[in-house]
Amino acid sequence: MAFLPDESRSLPPPPLLNKGSVWLGFAGWMSALLDNAFNQRPIFRAGVHRQILFATVGCFVGYQLVKRAEYMHAKVDRELFEYIRHHPVDFHTATG
Amino acid sequence: MAAGLRAVRRWGLVATAPGLAFTRSAFVVKKVNNVQPNWLGVGLAFGTSAALWALLIKQHNEDVMEYERRKQERGHKCTGCS
Repeated sequence: MAFLPDESRSLPPPPLLNKGSVWLGFAGWMSALLDNAFNQRPIFRAGVHRQILFATVGCFVGYQLVKRAEYMHAKVDRELFEYIRHHPVDFHTATG
Repeated sequence: MAAGLRAVRRWGLVATAPGLAFTRSAFVVKKVNNVQPNWLGVGLAFGTSAALWALLIKQHNEDVMEYERRKQERGHKCTGCS
């Protein structure tokens, strides 16, 4: 299956800075800082281009992953509601 | 023990660290020059970051437009879902 099928575009897209993209961007930034630490460079002031690149890659990957997660959740919800619609007997609310 | 090891190394019986091609000790690192900026690396990193941000923002805007377009097409027939 494709990473993001065409029907996933019918869903409202998540905001650019969502929990996935922010967290993975932060993780990318941290790994750049960790690289500075392991190579005995000043942690924050060194390799700013590297910090920006890693954070950007994290944001990008996070955004795509959140889109896919939202699509998978929506697909499962749709199947659930279809099942409930097709089996009304099992889901009587007031009488049962 | 260190003196004995030095002696053995002088005799050429023990490979020194630069001679070990397949292992890399954590205590012997290559000489990195952190003083002069690696301008090619810096340029590539900034260029790639700019390209990735542009791609991300363009993709997000396209996603929003496509979602709005499909919502218009659907005409919002069902009232139960969003």
